[in-house]
Amino acid sequence: MSEWPRSQPDEAPPAHEPHMPPPSGQAYDLPPPPVEAINEWQRLTPRNLLLYPVRTLGQLLVPLAIAFFGFGRDDSGSFMLGPETFVVIAAVAGALGVIPWLTTYYRLTETQIQVRRGLLNRKLLTAPLGRVRSVDLESKLMHRVLRLSKVSIGTGVDSTKIDLDALSVDQAGQLYDYLMARKRQLSDAGSSSDSTSTAGEQAGSSRQAGTAPVDDADAPDVELARIDWSWLRYAPFSLASLVVVAGIGAVAGQFMGEIDVTVQASSAQELYDWFTGQALLILALLTAVAVLIGWLLLSTLTYIISWWNLRLTRMGEGTLRLKRGLLTTNSTSVEEAKIRGVSMTEPALLRLVKGAELFTLSTGVGDGGQTKVLPPCPRAVAVRVGHEVLEEQGALTISLRRHGPAARRRCYIRGFWATLVPTVGIIVPTWWFDWPWWVPLLVFAVWLAGSLPLAEMEYRTLGHGQTQACVVSRHGALGRSREVLERAGVIGWVIQQSFFQRRVRLATLVATTAAGSESVSIRDIPLDDAVALAASTTPEAVGEFLDEGVRSRSRTTDASPIPHGG
Amino acid sequence: MSELASPVTTAEASPAPDGVADPRLREPAHHVAPEAIRYWAVKSLIGAVVQWLVVTGVYVFVIPDDWKIWAGPIAVTLVAISVVELAVVPQWRYRVHRWEVTDTAVYTRSGWLNREQRIAPLSRVQTVDSTRGPLMRAFHLASITVTTASAAGPITIDCLNFDVARRVVADLTEITGRTEGDAT
Repeated sequence: MSEWPRSQPDEAPPAHEPHMPPPSGQAYDLPPPPVEAINEWQRLTPRNLLLYPVRTLGQLLVPLAIAFFGFGRDDSGSFMLGPETFVVIAAVAGALGVIPWLTTYYRLTETQIQVRRGLLNRKLLTAPLGRVRSVDLESKLMHRVLRLSKVSIGTGVDSTKIDLDALSVDQAGQLYDYLMARKRQLSDAGSSSDSTSTAGEQAGSSRQAGTAPVDDADAPDVELARIDWSWLRYAPFSLASLVVVAGIGAVAGQFMGEIDVTVQASSAQELYDWFTGQALLILALLTAVAVLIGWLLLSTLTYIISWWNLRLTRMGEGTLRLKRGLLTTNSTSVEEAKIRGVSMTEPALLRLVKGAELFTLSTGVGDGGQTKVLPPCPRAVAVRVGHEVLEEQGALTISLRRHGPAARRRCYIRGFWATLVPTVGIIVPTWWFDWPWWVPLLVFAVWLAGSLPLAEMEYRTLGHGQTQACVVSRHGALGRSREVLERAGVIGWVIQQSFFQRRVRLATLVATTAAGSESVSIRDIPLDDAVALAASTTPEAVGEFLDEGVRSRSRTTDASPIPHGG
Repeated sequence: MSELASPVTTAEASPAPDGVADPRLREPAHHVAPEAIRYWAVKSLIGAVVQWLVVTGVYVFVIPDDWKIWAGPIAVTLVAISVVELAVVPQWRYRVHRWEVTDTAVYTRSGWLNREQRIAPLSRVQTVDSTRGPLMRAFHLASITVTTASAAGPITIDCLNFDVARRVVADLTEITGRTEGDAT
C-alpha cells in the first residue's frame, strides 16, 4: 500500500496549476478543479458523520426490534434485554457508521479518479477520466437535509459504477463539472488515434465526428424538455400505478368481505332483504369510487414526486443531462456518443389517450442500459424529444413496413394456441366435477373472441423500418413500443428461423447491441426483408455474405406501409 | 419509406435499378469437421442410452400390468424416435452447420429443424475463446466462441478440427487486435 501516499486532507494543498496540462487547441476556460485540488487524497465531507450512523441504525432497526420482542420477558416479567443494552447497541452502530467515512478516500489525478475504501480489505477503484461515460448525482431526503449528494461514475461497458456517498452538494457540482470538462478534453485528444470507425459507424455517427473541440467548445446548453404540469393528466394511465392500486383494491376487498351485512330476521323480512341488497350494491360502488380516487391520487402523487422539476438538457460538452425529483433529487448525465438509440413505449392505457414514454438506450450506464427520460407525456412530445436525442428526424414517425400475410397468420395461430391452453385446462375439471358439457365450449368461444382481435392488433403493430442512421422495430398488441437503434450501435446480427418460420420464409431478426437490453428483435419478418435490412444497415459486415447471383421475384407480399403514425 | 431499400446503399448491396432485387445470404463457406458427425452421434447416444434405461425401468417397475397394453407402444415409439434421431440428426446437423471467417466478419449457420444464422463484424469482437470438452478431444475437435459487447451476440463455431480451430483463433485474435476502442 506504499504506492498510495496517505496524505491527509488538512495538509496544505499544492497549487493545482502546475499539474494541469497546457491548454491545447481551442482556447477555453477549464473549470477549476475541486477546491482541494489535484493528486490529493481526500475524505468525503465530514457531514457524512451525521448521515452514516443514522443509516446504520436504520438498517439495524428491524433486527433490533426482532431481538427485543423475540427475547421477550423473562420469568420476573422484565425485559431480558434492558434499555441500556439498546443504548450500547445504538452507540456501537453509531461508531460503526463512522468507519466508512474514516476509510474512504478519493482523489483526482490529471487522468484518473481513484477511490480507496475498506478497513480490512482495502480496495482501490480507478477510472480513467477519458472513459467516464456517465455521472449521476443523487440526493435522498437525508442527503438533502444535510446538503449532500451521492456521486456515481459509470465507465465503459462495465455495469458497475464508482460511488462516492456522499459529497457536499458544492463539491459534487465541482466534481461533476471537472469530470465532464476533463473527459471531453481527454477524449478529444484521443479521438485522432481512435480508429474504431467502420463504414456503419461513419454513416451513423456524424455526431461523434461533430464533437470536435472547435465545434462544441462553446456550444450552449440546449434544453430538450422540461416538465409541463399539463402532462399530469397522463399519470393515472400508467400501468405501474394500476398495479399498486389493484393491490390496495384487493386489501379493500378484504375489508369489504369482513363487513357484516347480514340483518336479523324480522317481520319486515322482505324490506330488509331489499335494503341488504341495496347496501351491498352501494358498498360495491363506494369501494369502486374509493379505488378510483385512490388510483388518481396515488398515481398523480408518484408522478409529481419522481418527475418534479424534470429537465432534460443537452450540455455543451456532448452529454445529455436529466434532472428530476421532489424528495430524492436525481441528476443523470450520459455521454451522447454512448446513446445508441431510443425506445418509445405506449402502454395499453396510455396509448388510448395518445400518451407515450421515452427511454434512451445507451452503453455503460448500468441499470439495463435504459434510462427513462420522459414520464408519461403527450406522444408528440416524446416524438420530438426522441428525435432531438437521435439528432435525426423521422425515426419515430416514419411508416413502417408490415410483415405480410404469413406473419399475420402466425399471429392468429399463436392466438389460437393461447386459446387452447385454458380450454384444455377447463376440460379436466369439467370432466372431473361433471359440469355441463358446454362450459369448455363457452370458455373456448369467449377466449377466442378476445384473442382474435388481439392477434389482428399484434399484426398491425408489427413492423420494421429504416432511416439514414437508424433501424426501427415496433411490436406489441394492446400497448406497443417502438425501438430505434442507431446503425453504429449494431454490433451483430442473428437470424433465427424456427421450423414453421422456415416453411413460410419468415425469420426473427435480432440486432445485437451493447446498449439497452442488448438486443432489438424483429419478429416474423420476411426473410428477404431481414437480409435486406441487415445488409443495408451494416454493409461492411453483411455485404460480403450476400449471394449476388440470385435475383428473386419482386415482392408480392402485401407488405404495404402502415399508414402514417404509430 | 415505402421502399425497404435504404437510402444508404453500398457497392455490395446496391439493388437493381427498379429495386426488385432481394439480396439473399449465401451459405457460409466451410463445413465443420466431418468428425463432428460421429461426435454428435456419440454425444446423443449417451443421452439416448439414459433415456432408454429410464423408459425400460418405468415400463418394467412402475407401470401396472393392466396399463401395459397402451404403455408398451408408447415406450417402443419413444425408443424408436430416439433411434431415428440418432441416425438422422447428426448427418442433418452436419449439412446445416457451416461457418466462415473473413477479414471483416464472422458468419455461422447452425441448427437442424430450427436454424440460426449469426453475423458479427470483427471490429466489434471483444473476446475469442476456444473450448474442448473431453469428448471433443477424443475426436480432435474444438469449438470457438466469439463474443461481442452484447450478451445477445456470442457466436459459436461448433466442432472445428482442432488444428483449424487453432489457426482461426490466431487469425481472429490478430485481426481483432488491430481494432482500437471499446467496440460498443
